[in-house]
Amino acid sequence: MLHKLGGSCSWMVVMGCLALGVSVSRTSAAAEELRIGFVAPMTGGFAQVGKDMSNGFQMYLDEVGGSFAGAKVKFIVEDSEAKPPVAVRKAEKLVLQDKVHMLVGGLLASTGYALAPVSTRQKTVYIASVPSADDLTQRQSADYPYVIRTGWSSSQPSHPFGEWACQQGYKRIVTIGADFAFGYEVVGGFQRAFESCGGKVIQKIWPPLGTQDFGPYIPTLKKDADAIFTLMAGPMSLQFPKQLADAGIKKPVLGGGTSYDEFVLPSMGDEVHGHVSALQYSAALDTPKNAAFVKKYREKYGKVPSYYSESNYTTAQMIHEVFKKTGGKWPGAQKFIETLSKMKFDAVRGPVHFDDMRNPVQNVYIKKIERKKMFGYPNDELWNTVTKTYPNVSQFWNYGKTEFLKQPVYSRDYPPCKFCE
Amino acid sequence: MFLTDRGKLWTVFVIVLALAILAPFASAYVILLVTQALILAILAMSLDILLGFTGLPSLGQAAYLGMGAYLTAILATRYDFGLGWSFWVVIVLGILIGAATAALFGLFAIRAAGVSFLMITLALGMCVWGLAYRWNSMTGGDNGINIPARPKFGIQLADGVTYYYLVLFFFVMSLAMLYVLIKSPFGRSLVGIRERELRMRILGYNTWLHKYIAFVIAGGFGGLAGVLWAHLNGIVSPQVVVLATSVDALLMVVLGGPGTLVGGAIGAAVVVFLRDYLSTVVPWWQYVLGGVYVLTILYLPGGLMGIPARIRRWREEQAGPGQEKKR
Amino acid sequence: MTQPIEQSGSSPVLELKGLSKSFGGLDAVQDVNLKVFPGDRRAIIGPNGAGKTTLFNLVTGVYPATSGQVLLFGRDITGWPSHRRTALGMARTFQVTSLFPKLTVLDNVLLAISGLRKMKFVMWRLLSSYRDLYDKAHLLLESVGYADRKHVEVRNLSHGEQRQIEIVLGLASDPKILLLDEPAAGLASGESREMAEFLKQLDPGLAILLIEHDMDVVFDVVDHITVLQFGKLVEEGTTAQIRHSPKVREIYLGTG
Repeated sequence: MLHKLGGSCSWMVVMGCLALGVSVSRTSAAAEELRIGFVAPMTGGFAQVGKDMSNGFQMYLDEVGGSFAGAKVKFIVEDSEAKPPVAVRKAEKLVLQDKVHMLVGGLLASTGYALAPVSTRQKTVYIASVPSADDLTQRQSADYPYVIRTGWSSSQPSHPFGEWACQQGYKRIVTIGADFAFGYEVVGGFQRAFESCGGKVIQKIWPPLGTQDFGPYIPTLKKDADAIFTLMAGPMSLQFPKQLADAGIKKPVLGGGTSYDEFVLPSMGDEVHGHVSALQYSAALDTPKNAAFVKKYREKYGKVPSYYSESNYTTAQMIHEVFKKTGGKWPGAQKFIETLSKMKFDAVRGPVHFDDMRNPVQNVYIKKIERKKMFGYPNDELWNTVTKTYPNVSQFWNYGKTEFLKQPVYSRDYPPCKFCE
Repeated sequence: MFLTDRGKLWTVFVIVLALAILAPFASAYVILLVTQALILAILAMSLDILLGFTGLPSLGQAAYLGMGAYLTAILATRYDFGLGWSFWVVIVLGILIGAATAALFGLFAIRAAGVSFLMITLALGMCVWGLAYRWNSMTGGDNGINIPARPKFGIQLADGVTYYYLVLFFFVMSLAMLYVLIKSPFGRSLVGIRERELRMRILGYNTWLHKYIAFVIAGGFGGLAGVLWAHLNGIVSPQVVVLATSVDALLMVVLGGPGTLVGGAIGAAVVVFLRDYLSTVVPWWQYVLGGVYVLTILYLPGGLMGIPARIRRWREEQAGPGQEKKR
Repeated sequence: MTQPIEQSGSSPVLELKGLSKSFGGLDAVQDVNLKVFPGDRRAIIGPNGAGKTTLFNLVTGVYPATSGQVLLFGRDITGWPSHRRTALGMARTFQVTSLFPKLTVLDNVLLAISGLRKMKFVMWRLLSSYRDLYDKAHLLLESVGYADRKHVEVRNLSHGEQRQIEIVLGLASDPKILLLDEPAAGLASGESREMAEFLKQLDPGLAILLIEHDMDVVFDVVDHITVLQFGKLVEEGTTAQIRHSPKVREIYLGTG
């Protein structure tokens, strides 16, 4: 067997040389350079979302000519393949090899959870511009002092949405959500808020992530429910409303923000007309700032920006404003986090500031899908029309931080389904 | 070029020594990559015991990696265990849980052969994935488990180079133990089973038992790799136990050369290099990796380790007939 | 059934009592009774499909018997797995060469010798440290004339040589009885003669049960012959008796 071992010698030597070569070609740091490591899926099923994310950031960079208050920005994008271990390795590459000052990005909650410890270990800032896993800025916040979130926490829009559902007079709601942690948090937040204002969630269904055929689930939806709350991910978002419409179900449909965001909306048809969702951003937000953003983005990339783009555009803006304060100098990781978390921003999505666990406090928009013309575009298109704005929504809603953190994180079994029949 | 057994041992020794001596001079990122390659090498070598030496193409090796990794993460986060001297206990427990899982799976898998063995190990591997993904309260589901910090006991494993040395130590131990194993009477019996199982039975071997023991041992080393893997990444998620991880391990062995032990290590090094280094340089790295796999399978059935034998054969043909050759 | 065996004083190595095997509706072996004594050289002949190889498989435990008994040294081994039979002193070879082609002759023999030793489970000590094992292998290879070719990979040997190694592997377990399934199958006539010589120089105390179509080899090597037809034992006797048996002539030799 080991007769062949001799050949390993030459191969090992080759590998060794390559390894050494890598170590020699280190980048030397220029004084005024700000190196930002951006981690997002660039290949695989989530590649397009990753593109939306980096486009958002890049657009801001282009607007300011590639420098933040004099600091030249080196924007290095690495592909996470939407796999947490890959994200970790790429993040470590960015920190160790490229000597980045901060990590930005991540898409899935699991990637966020994977990147946060890297930031702690490497004492490097990590800005979670999209990953929304609640506990990153809740129960585990203390473990990750270098993490700040500029996007949202999963259950943040769900709380006001639950209250809104009560106000619509819905008494009994069934939920159907993709079977993963993000789904539990969006649905859990909604259930808690809806039930604290007197509503009843009477049924919870969890189709597996990636379900294409909802045939087995749709007929089991309780007939006496007033509305359906749905949280889908990826292609599920397109399939579910279609099959629901085909089954002739006319009940009002409410959804988690990602079920109807501008990433999936252009692929949808009139079956989603009238569906209502909640998120911290809508491309149809009727403010001059957003109108300009949408037009510019659409002109540049040929599509309406999704919250993935907005979030990263805003993140770039936030970093820029910190640098304006520091005079274009990198203030150090700790100081950067400190400065950023105390600032208030006038972002595309509206006013944003941070709570003391470094999660944004921001508007949550209740949005209804309508086919209409907007921003002077000639065609009728589907837009997430904002019907109600809940201002300054914190991740703790109106439960109070201490009280809120006593509860376990939302999961498949929490809150328990008290009213399930 | 073509070395004796002793010469080969020296080659490996020199390479390991070089790995140990050069580490402080390499960049932190290279250290990280090599650490990763060494851990995957342990996994690949454990699989080679099955695939290369016993002829059992397992597609479930990630399961043991996952068991070791989840055990480490769960003990660390729930019981605050294994972050000091108790790390060594976790190493032992990791090996045991890998072996125990294999002992259970082996009861189902070892009866089968060839493609059905492949399918059964695949299915069993999926069971572990399902458990990791679904048993939210224990495994954190899709989000996985974050390990607060690497262990420290006098030395700080949080330091990349220190951790690298620890992994190198386990790699060398694994290589040495597996080397003795394949050269032992038991190891030779596995080769016999690979070559002709029926004959082995007639010769007085309980081949089922031999295969089963090999399966359990491979599981144990997989569990060891899992413990090291958990602390390398600081996170354990279902991604560790997905099919792709098992396939990767299989390809590493095939790439390096099945039945050569160190081939698995070389395969791991090449894959890590292509995937983690090349991917940061060029966007089309996946095609390179795919191309390397296809070319290896088509033109180098013996893997990269088969290259010297190929050259030797080619030289012999060049030298013409009548050329006496001493082995 | 008569027992024209001269060593009837000693007890049989192998005894078959009413051994039968049916596959579905097909009776492959029916009610075969047979005794093999130490040092016996016996051939089992019969036309294709007579059940010879099936009989071997029953004796060696590859298939379970449908009914009847197999006794080895007087012990009922009917339900035993193959490897336990080997341990008790039975060895066999296959009609199709069944060696470890990519291993050397020596490695083949070493595997065969280890098969019956507890050390086959040892995984913390190098095989090469077992001097006695190597000594025995060298002794065996010398006795059969393969000492000089022990480092040749088996796949590089000629077919005739491979057939002989096949038998050497059988001998490695120190059997008292050796079952040979067509040792001369596929051999050229020169090679067949070599095989016959090879068989004749084996330890005279060893009982050999042989399936063979090459009658030159049969008459050269054995002293007793058993004739099977349609799974039944139809005739038994010394080579001379069988050679002149009209019944055998009719069903078997007559056709050839």
